[in-house]
Amino acid sequence: MSDNRVNLDDLNLSDDELFASVNHDELESEKITAPRYSYWQSVFRVFFRKKSNIILLSILAILLLFTYVYPVVIGYDAAVDPYINLMDSTAKHLSPSAAMAKFGANIHWILGSGSSGQSTFDAIWFGSSISVSMALVCALINMTVGVLVGALWGFSRKVDIIMTEVYNVIANIPYVLLISVIVLIMAASFWSMVFALTVTGWIAIAYFIRTQVIIIRDREYNLASRCLGTPVTRIASKNILPFMTSIIVTLAATEIPSYISYEVFLSYLGMGLSEMSLGKLIEASQNAMQTPGWEIEFWSPVAVASIITVVLYVVGQNLGDASDPRTHM
Amino acid sequence: MTKYLINRILRSICSVIIVVGIVMLMVYSALDRNLIFAADPNYSHVKSNAKEVYMMQQWEKYGYLDYVPYADYLRELVRDDEITQETYDAVVRFSNEPDQDSAEVAEYVAKFTQEYESQGYTVVRLNAVMRGNTKRYQDGGEPRLYAYKNIPVLMRLVNYFTGLISVDNVNYVQEDIENRGLTFTWFDPVYGGEKFSPAIMGNGTQYKYLVYCDDTFPYIHQNLVKINLGLSYSIRQGIDVFTTMTETQGSYIYSTVTYPSGVEQSSADDLHSAAYSAGSLASGTPVVKANYVDDYTNVSTNKGGQSRIGYSFTMGIIAVILSYVLAIPLGITMALRKEKLLDKLGTLYIVFITAVPSLAYIFLFKSLGGAFGLPTTFDMEKPTWLMYVLPIISLALPSIANLMKWLRRYMIDQMNSDYVKFARSGGLSERQIFTKHILKNAIIPIIHGIPASVLGALTGAIITERVYVVPGVGNMLTRAINAFDNGVIVGMVLFYAVLTVTSIILGDVLMSLIDPRISFTSKAR
Repeated sequence: MSDNRVNLDDLNLSDDELFASVNHDELESEKITAPRYSYWQSVFRVFFRKKSNIILLSILAILLLFTYVYPVVIGYDAAVDPYINLMDSTAKHLSPSAAMAKFGANIHWILGSGSSGQSTFDAIWFGSSISVSMALVCALINMTVGVLVGALWGFSRKVDIIMTEVYNVIANIPYVLLISVIVLIMAASFWSMVFALTVTGWIAIAYFIRTQVIIIRDREYNLASRCLGTPVTRIASKNILPFMTSIIVTLAATEIPSYISYEVFLSYLGMGLSEMSLGKLIEASQNAMQTPGWEIEFWSPVAVASIITVVLYVVGQNLGDASDPRTHM
Repeated sequence: MTKYLINRILRSICSVIIVVGIVMLMVYSALDRNLIFAADPNYSHVKSNAKEVYMMQQWEKYGYLDYVPYADYLRELVRDDEITQETYDAVVRFSNEPDQDSAEVAEYVAKFTQEYESQGYTVVRLNAVMRGNTKRYQDGGEPRLYAYKNIPVLMRLVNYFTGLISVDNVNYVQEDIENRGLTFTWFDPVYGGEKFSPAIMGNGTQYKYLVYCDDTFPYIHQNLVKINLGLSYSIRQGIDVFTTMTETQGSYIYSTVTYPSGVEQSSADDLHSAAYSAGSLASGTPVVKANYVDDYTNVSTNKGGQSRIGYSFTMGIIAVILSYVLAIPLGITMALRKEKLLDKLGTLYIVFITAVPSLAYIFLFKSLGGAFGLPTTFDMEKPTWLMYVLPIISLALPSIANLMKWLRRYMIDQMNSDYVKFARSGGLSERQIFTKHILKNAIIPIIHGIPASVLGALTGAIITERVYVVPGVGNMLTRAINAFDNGVIVGMVLFYAVLTVTSIILGDVLMSLIDPRISFTSKAR
């Protein structure tokens, strides 16, 4: 240690050259020196620290690329392409190898052909673009309404009394009934399905958020903040929202795949969309499952739906974990 | 606590009534009522005026409106002795167009119109549709006269709830019959009058046997109080939803029965279910005349299988027990060995079940089970225990994952709390901390869910029952929706709503019994 010390006398400098006086600044002395902390930067730092997340994210990117870009690139036309080989009886229900032998080895036929001779692979990605879009739109609407109403519900006791009764009523109406009635009234289409899934779907999210808000609302630090005269809007945005971010992200991560599952479930019951979504594909090919040799027609849309939902779920959960400030240490 | 519970129950009843009201509004008012004809083969066959009348008749059957044809009105007048049969015959036929009516007919038509319009009905007269210029009607072109009125939702709701529970009484039968009253016997005549089996029988009641005993669980049965959830119109015409859910299914079971006339026969008839059917003895087949002595001839039959609700509940309850027995130890182990191999495997399983569409893993397990030689479809005729295996696995898998997920979450949350650190500093072993402190607190929310899962087993499962062809209740709602069977839809909704509301209240009560800190009487917050 002592070796590193420098004797000022050895430098032969005057005091003026060695020292400069610093003005005493009241304002400056109040500032606390701490490492810069940016919330979202920390979220991504924690998220990308795990190598598996990078792999999952690239899988998700590939899936989304196939879902949204692939149908555009090949110019998939939902009105024409599924029926292109309708008259060719030798093109139907082909296994991947048979299809590739017939049509040549290209990417369209790696999953064989379906009941009307169409390419299963192309149909799946077009279907998944509908299913994923629907899930994203539904999640966006339900999460926005749910979080806003849930926050209000948790804060105001008057709203709580009314909303709890409303919740009791709405939660008791069977989802299947509500959706089928709406689909029957409005005719099956993408937007009527979105309407059916969002018209009461937000209330479960709002209820969940309400419970979380109530838990955090009465914690001591919020009590102290209230005693100091912080307005409710500031408490909501600065004290509670940061706590809720990870909860909201985790919730969104469960919601998005659940809408895809729900669409599959409803289509299986015959109340789904009019477009050839993933659920519709699964429903249309369920007879093929019982025929030996044709199982791939059924299992490939099921597998793609499962992979999409699992990847979305895991990425969302990990992002939820990373957005919890307690993991940023 | 009692006061709180009564308050809760009353509020729950209110919300159940509102739910049923909303559903009635949805199915009777919001839906286009022409939809019921979408799959009706008769609809395209009837033409012209007959089509209008056919639509009215169907709508009345499905409960949309009250429909009264002119002839019915006149017949009622005959029954009330206001007009004679001769007048009826004279005025029942009205002309092709109103201005061609004779004075007498016009008088009664005016009376009919006035009578029903004053009650809020709409009176419709359809003129005859002729074939070109000939004097012959087109197909179904006869003139029609009728009145109809839509049933308002509020009235429908009131009628529905007042008719929900019916108690049989000796004045049920409207016709004149002898010896109205109840009789008590120690020796049930169904068993030949020699076997000791007490029964209460009624005459003038809807059912002949009000209380009786037999050798099936719960041994003492009653027909006195019946629950009427609503009549079915297309799924099982004229039969109550509750009966559809609870009656046995499958092939007939024959046994020697002694009919009221003393005839002994091998038959599947369940004489204990004998219900009154006016004039059925006189108009019945020779077999009916030989077997019965009175109009209590409407009997159901004994069948070998369980009821719809029976199958659903058997599977559901085994799955529920299985999931609690497996998930609680697994969840605890996962929390104990956090980040170890078992925890990682468990998390993988939870992610799989939560994220993958339920349809996908149900089919996956069906084909896996089929590969192992397990029966993949349900067969009521040759029941084996093996055919329950796959549906039960399909039902248990998601609930195991759900229970494991939450138990692990709750336990890990508790592990960081101050009382655990205190217990550890006090020198308790990790095992003691886990079983005596953490588990006790973490299990409370799990216990809250027990009534919901037990009662939920009654409602069946839509996908599982469809995939494995189980004759359970799970599919009744979806089938009713597809068939526009409004009576069944409303009945099933009431059934579901009552079950969920009850399970939430029972869960709260159970939770407050387990955890003395939880009290509903004091004002929390």
